[in-house]
Amino acid sequence: MKAYQIWSRFLLSLLAVLVAAACGAGGSQPQPQTAPADASPASASPSAAADQGATKTEPAYPVRQIEYIVPYSAGGGVDLVARAAADYLSKEWGQPIAVINKPGGGGTVGAEYALKQAKPDGYTVLAVNVSNTSMLAAGMAEPLIKNDDQIYTARIGKGTMAFAVKEDAAWSDFASFSEWARANPDALTWTSVGPAGFSAFGVAEWLDRIGGDYVKTRMIVTKGASDSVPKVAGGHAVLAIHTVGEINPMLQAKKVKVLAVGGEERSPFLPDVPTAAEQGIEGLSVFWWTGVSFPKGTPEGVIKKWEAAVAKMTSDPDFVKKLHDIQVEPAYADSAQFTQDVEKETQYYTELAEKTGIRN
Amino acid sequence: MDTLQLLLSGLSEALTLENLLMAAVGALVGTFVGVLPGLGPTSAIAILLPVTGVLEPTQGIIMLAGIYYGAMYGGSTTAILLNIPGEISSVPTCLDGYPLAKKGRGGPALGISAIASFAAGIMGVIGLVFFAPVLADQALRFGPPEYLALMLLALTLMVSLSGGSFLKAFIMGALGYVLALVGLGPSSGMPRFDYGFAKLVGGLDMISIIIGLFAITEVLKGIEEKRVTTVIGKPGSVYPSKADLKQSAGPAVRGGLVGFFLGLLPGCSAAITSFLAYDLEKKVAKEPQRFGRGALEGVAAPEAANNATSSAGFIPLFSLGIPSSPPLAILLAGLMIYGLTPGPVLFEQNASFVWTVIASMFVGNAMLLVLNLPMVWLWVKLTRVPYGIMAPIILVFCTIGAYSVRNSLFDVLVAFLFGGLGYLLNRYKWPVVPLVLCFILGPLLEESLIQTTAMSAEGLALVLQRPISSVILAAAAVLLVISLVLNRRTQLRVQQERERGIDIT
Repeated sequence: MKAYQIWSRFLLSLLAVLVAAACGAGGSQPQPQTAPADASPASASPSAAADQGATKTEPAYPVRQIEYIVPYSAGGGVDLVARAAADYLSKEWGQPIAVINKPGGGGTVGAEYALKQAKPDGYTVLAVNVSNTSMLAAGMAEPLIKNDDQIYTARIGKGTMAFAVKEDAAWSDFASFSEWARANPDALTWTSVGPAGFSAFGVAEWLDRIGGDYVKTRMIVTKGASDSVPKVAGGHAVLAIHTVGEINPMLQAKKVKVLAVGGEERSPFLPDVPTAAEQGIEGLSVFWWTGVSFPKGTPEGVIKKWEAAVAKMTSDPDFVKKLHDIQVEPAYADSAQFTQDVEKETQYYTELAEKTGIRN
Repeated sequence: MDTLQLLLSGLSEALTLENLLMAAVGALVGTFVGVLPGLGPTSAIAILLPVTGVLEPTQGIIMLAGIYYGAMYGGSTTAILLNIPGEISSVPTCLDGYPLAKKGRGGPALGISAIASFAAGIMGVIGLVFFAPVLADQALRFGPPEYLALMLLALTLMVSLSGGSFLKAFIMGALGYVLALVGLGPSSGMPRFDYGFAKLVGGLDMISIIIGLFAITEVLKGIEEKRVTTVIGKPGSVYPSKADLKQSAGPAVRGGLVGFFLGLLPGCSAAITSFLAYDLEKKVAKEPQRFGRGALEGVAAPEAANNATSSAGFIPLFSLGIPSSPPLAILLAGLMIYGLTPGPVLFEQNASFVWTVIASMFVGNAMLLVLNLPMVWLWVKLTRVPYGIMAPIILVFCTIGAYSVRNSLFDVLVAFLFGGLGYLLNRYKWPVVPLVLCFILGPLLEESLIQTTAMSAEGLALVLQRPISSVILAAAAVLLVISLVLNRRTQLRVQQERERGIDIT
């Protein structure tokens, strides 16, 4: 049966090709040669090991695909920064970096995956963010993910918080909106990635300053900014608190308007929008940041390598321009500084959470 | 025109080398699995889902969609030449296709089936171009209560779609939902139902479950049946004559229309529309007695219908997130893995993705025509590969697929456990599709339920108070009745044909 032999050979070779592709998808097979197409893995690895001054006992890193876990839906700020960083670093190291979105539980689902389920070998990195770190620790009595579970490796960027309402909403300035929210807490619906996220602390801090009642307001939990802002634009929730960059697409589409931004200065991306302080509401300090972290037990060499690479990346004009396009400001911090900042924040947010009733 | 512009830019994207390659690979693999008995589009998409993870979302979905409509083409080859319908939707093609093949006219039957499929596939895609944006324009008006109503609609229809006992389907759906609860709560972030197993905190993986229930179950069934195939002799040229084309043009158009318009109704599967199209042709024919003995119209109409239905199925899938057939349910899982939650917002936020995929379907359908007409004998020869060789290869794929999602042997274990479960369920006629769909849609249902209750003091009453959501609920009720009636009818037809000796797996 000659024909049969020919066809079974054809079939087997087809399968061999697909098996190779599948191994690439797995990323953990110890065969760098089957990793998905990239420029020159063979030549990149040794030089990469050398330029970071790794000792001979330390294995070269990275030698295969890295998973970059984003614990929110695609299209939000954390996601966009992660995609830009993955793009930059995969070129830098000559290894593919796959961004994987695992939304849910206010960022806990993805963080739990990256920090607790994956091996601490440097090949799974978490796109860490204020919502699943200091705020989680502050907002929940028994958070699943704690500051101690991770090595804060490097901060990449930060963003200003903006208060957005539907384009045709009745309020034209932040003061009158605040007055309404103080008087009608049970009518104030707002979107958040979770009970202890960026939006929750933003709302709590604001209500605390204007004398409103946080507990009476209505939180609508979403998967991330790309899910939250359309809900406000469609009139299903009153307020979205997200970064300037995250609100921008719907702002450009004239579906929402921004009443105020937080922080001490106007956002460079929204120079026409006054800060909350300019409108008489002082002390809104909540801001957004994103960076990378690894599980405890990750080799020191990996941490150093990322620290150095992120430092280089955030001072590269091309990358800064990319951040600028998504309206995020570069805000590099090394591991030590980053950890210290997170701890300081945790303390402030814990006090805020206890005072306003976020933690209960 | 805005839509046209989007489509044109989608077309230019679809024609890039990478995307062309993906469409070709998808169509090729699809035809391959459609031809091979014992491997349908559902299990093929399930197995390849993790493999496409290395690709960009657009490319991955182009390939998976190619597998879907490719398998629809491939199914007709075995239906005509071997009298084996790969899926129920190919049963009507057997009725006249096999008699034609026995008469030595298998070639023209294959040719007509490919041409009718192509024409209808294109019709379906054109419909998609005009219809989908209408819904997408309403995107922002879809809030939590509307999504809640949509989820209820999808689940109701899927329960009815699975055929057989409503109660069994309902129980399986409930089981799927319970499995979806395992892991971290989507709004609370708290672990639940992990029973102290650290592995369960991350929840059960969608792909492992799908691979187990569809692919591994299929292999177990195949081994039990000792699948063998036989090929009949050479049936002549695949290029139909002018007379053949003239004879089939009307049926193909009518079949395409039936397939497309009914395919728009969520819950109306290709199995339903291909039978309806076949029976319609028999009714309008001048000599209905020719049907069942080798009438070319009897091949053209159902083939056109099932392809138009599969293209039309992308409309409720993309614009509402409702899959109307099991392969589309798996494709929905694929979209969600890529972070592209289907629904009205998809068109707003991922316009270029949607239009590239739609445009690639034009391209893919054209490729299939090229693959099918001159190369049909290649495919037929592939059916000679013994199942003893295919089965272990499929199992290797399943293992790699399940492992590669989270690089965890736990997921492989889950896949094989569900493979065994699927085999038992299949044996005792418990439908697995409601389980999978509820597992996929469970978290979305939960999320919209929680969001709806959070929106105001009215809580769930909102669903009945708001215009869009109440219309969706009413539509769900009407569609449920329609699909129950049509399903009943299709089952009776399948039963009739089974009595006449068609081997329906």
